[in-house]
Amino acid sequence: MKVSWKPYILTLIVLLIGFPFIFMVLLSFSSSWRFPDILPGYFGLKNWVTILGSETGLLQSFIISVVISLSVGMVSTFSGFLISRAVFYHKRRRILTLFAYFPYVLAPVVFGACLSFFFLKIGLFGNVTGVIVAQFLVAFPYALIFFGSFWNKKIKSYEDLVATLGGTPRQTFFKVLLPLAKSMLLICFFQTFLISWFEYGLTSIIGVGKVQTLTIKVFLFIKEANYYYGALSCCLLIFPPVVLLYFNKRYVFKNLV
Amino acid sequence: MLLISCNSEPKMDDSGLKAASWEEISAKAKGTAVNMMMWQGSPVINNYMNNYVVPQLKEKYNIDLKISGGQGPEIVQLAMGEKEAGITSGQVDIVWINGETSFQLRKIDGLWGPFIEQLPNIKYIDLDDRYINTDFQQPIAGMECPWSIGQAAMVYDSAKVANPPRNLNELETYVKKYPGTFTIGNDFSGMTQLKSFLAELGGSPNNLNGDFSEEKYNRLSKQLWEYLNRNKKYFWKEGETFPKEQTKMSQLFANGELYLNFGFSEGGIEEKVVSGLYPETARSYPWENGTIKNTNYMGILQNAPQKAGAMQVIDFLISPAAQFEKSHANGMDSNTILEIDSLPKEWAEKFTNAPHRKYGLEMEDLKEYAIEEPAPEYMIRLYEDFRTQVIEK
Amino acid sequence: MLIGVVPFFAAFIYALGYSFGVMGVLNNGFTTRFWESVFASGEFLKSFGYSAAIALVSLVLSIGGALWVTLKFRRELDKKFLSFMMYLPLAIPGVVAGFFMIQLFSKAGFFARIAFQLGLIEKTAQFPDLVNDSLAFGIIVAFITMLIPFFTLLFLNVYKNERIEELSILAHALGANANQVTRRVFLPIILKKTGVLIALYFIFLLGAYEVPLILGQESPQMLSVLIIRETRQFDLSKISEGYVVAVMYTLVVSITVILLFLPKRKKAIYES
Repeated sequence: MKVSWKPYILTLIVLLIGFPFIFMVLLSFSSSWRFPDILPGYFGLKNWVTILGSETGLLQSFIISVVISLSVGMVSTFSGFLISRAVFYHKRRRILTLFAYFPYVLAPVVFGACLSFFFLKIGLFGNVTGVIVAQFLVAFPYALIFFGSFWNKKIKSYEDLVATLGGTPRQTFFKVLLPLAKSMLLICFFQTFLISWFEYGLTSIIGVGKVQTLTIKVFLFIKEANYYYGALSCCLLIFPPVVLLYFNKRYVFKNLV
Repeated sequence: MLLISCNSEPKMDDSGLKAASWEEISAKAKGTAVNMMMWQGSPVINNYMNNYVVPQLKEKYNIDLKISGGQGPEIVQLAMGEKEAGITSGQVDIVWINGETSFQLRKIDGLWGPFIEQLPNIKYIDLDDRYINTDFQQPIAGMECPWSIGQAAMVYDSAKVANPPRNLNELETYVKKYPGTFTIGNDFSGMTQLKSFLAELGGSPNNLNGDFSEEKYNRLSKQLWEYLNRNKKYFWKEGETFPKEQTKMSQLFANGELYLNFGFSEGGIEEKVVSGLYPETARSYPWENGTIKNTNYMGILQNAPQKAGAMQVIDFLISPAAQFEKSHANGMDSNTILEIDSLPKEWAEKFTNAPHRKYGLEMEDLKEYAIEEPAPEYMIRLYEDFRTQVIEK
Repeated sequence: MLIGVVPFFAAFIYALGYSFGVMGVLNNGFTTRFWESVFASGEFLKSFGYSAAIALVSLVLSIGGALWVTLKFRRELDKKFLSFMMYLPLAIPGVVAGFFMIQLFSKAGFFARIAFQLGLIEKTAQFPDLVNDSLAFGIIVAFITMLIPFFTLLFLNVYKNERIEELSILAHALGANANQVTRRVFLPIILKKTGVLIALYFIFLLGAYEVPLILGQESPQMLSVLIIRETRQFDLSKISEGYVVAVMYTLVVSITVILLFLPKRKKAIYES
C-alpha cells in the first residue's frame, strides 16, 4: 500500500540535502552579489583562479589540513587499536574505558584553553606538530572507545587458538587480528580523520592562528565578510569527506550500535 | 615531562642590538623568518600585507614575514602565557597594537625596547606630535613604532537621512525617528565611540585627558549606561544584541539596515564606496564634541626570537614607499604617519599629488574635532561594563 | 592509557589552580574571589541553562524528525542513490553549517532576497531575526541540519540489526495495529538501543563551539563561547573567572559521563 505523497517528500529531502552543496559551489563562483539581487553580479572562475594562485594561502592551508588530518587519523587509529587490546585484557577495563570518555566528551576548545599552558611549556605551541598532538588527544579516546567493541570473547578465543596451534604473537597480530579488524580500522581512520579535518576551536588555540588549517581560513573569511572566498574554502572543506564517504559509507554505522 | 627546550635557538644578544649600528642590524635581519600578529578583519589591510608587504620584504631583504591573526586580548594572552611558561623564544616577533594593548603588555613587561630611534625611517615621523608620541595618555618612550594615524568619524547615508545627529541629544531624537538604524559595535571601534560619548557627557572634548579617574569614570559611565538603556529599544534589533565585528557593522550599513555607522580612518568609506560595497550616497561627517584621533603602532615582544628581523620589517613599514602604497585613496586609503615636509622631495611630491578622497573627509577636515585617546583603563572598563550594564540588561 | 588521562587531569588541575588564583602571572595566591563573583553574577547558570535548552530542543526535534523519516521511508532509503544522499550531510562540519545559515537566513541572505523579490519585504530590516537572534533559531536549525541525517542513519541501522521488521510482522500477526507496533515495538527498541548515544550527543551539543560562535548572540552565550571569551578577555584581572566556568563545566560533563557509563553496564554502547 503505497501512499502517493511519499515521492514528493523524498524529492524534498533530496533537494534539502543537495541544496547546501550546490549553494556553496555556486557561491564560490560568484562575486559582487548584493542585496536584493537573486543572481550574483559576477559568475565565473575568478575566485578559484585567484585563490588557487596561492596568494591567500588557501592551497597551502589545504595541504596543511591534509597533512594534519592524515597524521592524526593514522596515529590515533593504530594506537587506539593496540591500546584498546591492552584495555580489554586489563582487569579494570570498565574504569579505564570510563577515563577515556572524559577527554572525549569535553569540548575540545575548552580542553585546549586549559591545556595551552603545557603546550607552551614543551614547545608545541603555534606549530603543526603541536596541533597534531592536540588533535590526537581528542581523536585517540574516540579510537579507544571505538575499538572497545572489537575485542570480545570470540576474538580472544581466536587468539588462544592461534597460540595453541603454535603461532607467535606476531603471527597472531598480522595474520589474524589485522584482517579481522580491517573494516573497523578503516572506519576508525575515517572518523578520526574527520574529527581532525573539522576541528576549529582547539586548533585555533594551540596553533595561535599560525597553523592555518582550512577551518581557520573559513573563520578568517567570515570575519572579513568575504563570503565568496569563504564559500570556496567551505568547498575545499566538504568535498574531500564526500569522496571518502562515497567509498566508506557502508561501514560508517556498522559498529556504532 | 619535557623541559623548556624544544625551540631553544641561540638567544639573540638583545642588549647588543640596542647598541648596534643599523648596518649590523640589517645584516642580521637578512634571511630571517619574522612572525607578526595582527588584527585580520579588514580585507584591504590583509590585501596590502599579503600582496605588497610580504613579497617586498622577501625581495628586498630576503625576509619571510608570516602573519597570523590576533588582536588586543589574544596578543596579551599569548605574551602572558609564554611568560607563565617561561618561554624565552616566543611565537611572535611583531605585534600591531595601540594603547590598551600596549598598556597591558607593559603591565607584564611584554614589550621590548626602546628601539624606534634606531630605525632609519623614523626621521620622517614627527615624534613631537602629541597624537603620535602619546598612546592612550602614555608616552610611547621608543617602545612602539607609529604605523598609521587616523581619526574616527561618523558615517551616514545621505539618501536616507537629511540631517544626521551630531550630538547625544540629536541622536536620541534620531533613533526615535529612525528606529533600528543605529547600533554600537561590541568591539574596538564601538568602545572608541563610547569614549567620545563619555567625553561629551563630561562636557568637553578634553574632559577625559590625563590619568584615569575612578570617580569620573563612575559618574560619567553611569550617565552613559542610563542614556543607552533608555534608548536602546530604538537601536538595531531593539538593542537586544550588538554586532561584534567592525566588518559586521559595515555589512549592515551596506545592506541598508543601518543608516549611521562609525569608523576609523575618518569613517573609512572611500574604499568601500569605490569597491561598490557602500552606496555612493554614503558620507562621513564630524561629531560636534569630537571623535578620537589616534595612532596605531608596531611593537616587538620581549621574547621575540627575531628582533633584528622585526626591526627591519618595521622600518620597511614606515618607509616612504610602503607608506605611499598604503595611503593611495583607491587602495587601502590610510593616512600616512609620515610628515610630508620632512620627506625627500620626490616623495613629498608624490604624496601631495596623490589622488584625494572623493566621498570621505580628509583628516585635515576633522582637525578641530579631534579628541585625544583617554587613559587605557577607560577602554578596559567600558568593555566590561558595556557588556554587564547594557548588553546583558 | 596515560595519553588520554594525564592531559585531561593536567588541564583540569591547571584550570582549577587558575580559578583560585594560584596560577597566572597577575594572580597572587589563593583566593575564592573569582568563584564568588561568578556565582554572584549568575552568568554560569544562565549560560548553562541556555546551552542545555538549545541542546535539548535541537535533540528532541532531530530525533523526532529522524524517527519519522525512519518509520516512513526506511524502504526507500535502502536504495543506493538515496542512501548515499543521506550520508552526504555527515561531510558538513559546524563551521560550514554556521556559514551556510548566515548565507541563508541573515537579513541580506538568500531568503531575504526571495522575500524581497516576492514583495514580502521592502527593506532588509523587515526580514525577521533568524541568525544571531535571541531565540537561537539559527543555532538550533544548524544543529538539526547536522543531526537529523545522523540519527536517521543510526535508527535505520538499529532497525536492521535488531530485526524490528520481523518483530513488527510478528506483532501484526498477533493482532497489533500499526500504531501499537510503532509505540510498543519500534520506539522502545530504537530508543533503548541508542539512549546512551543520545545522551552523549546532548553533552556534545552542550559544549558546541563553532556554531554558536557564528550564529549566537552576545548574551547569553553558550558555554564554550562564554569560557573562551572570558579566558581571552581584555580585563586581565578577570581571566580567572573564565577558568571558574571551565572547571564547573568540566565537572558537570565528567559527572554525567560517570553516571552514564559507570553503572553495571557490562555492554558499553559500542558493543554489538
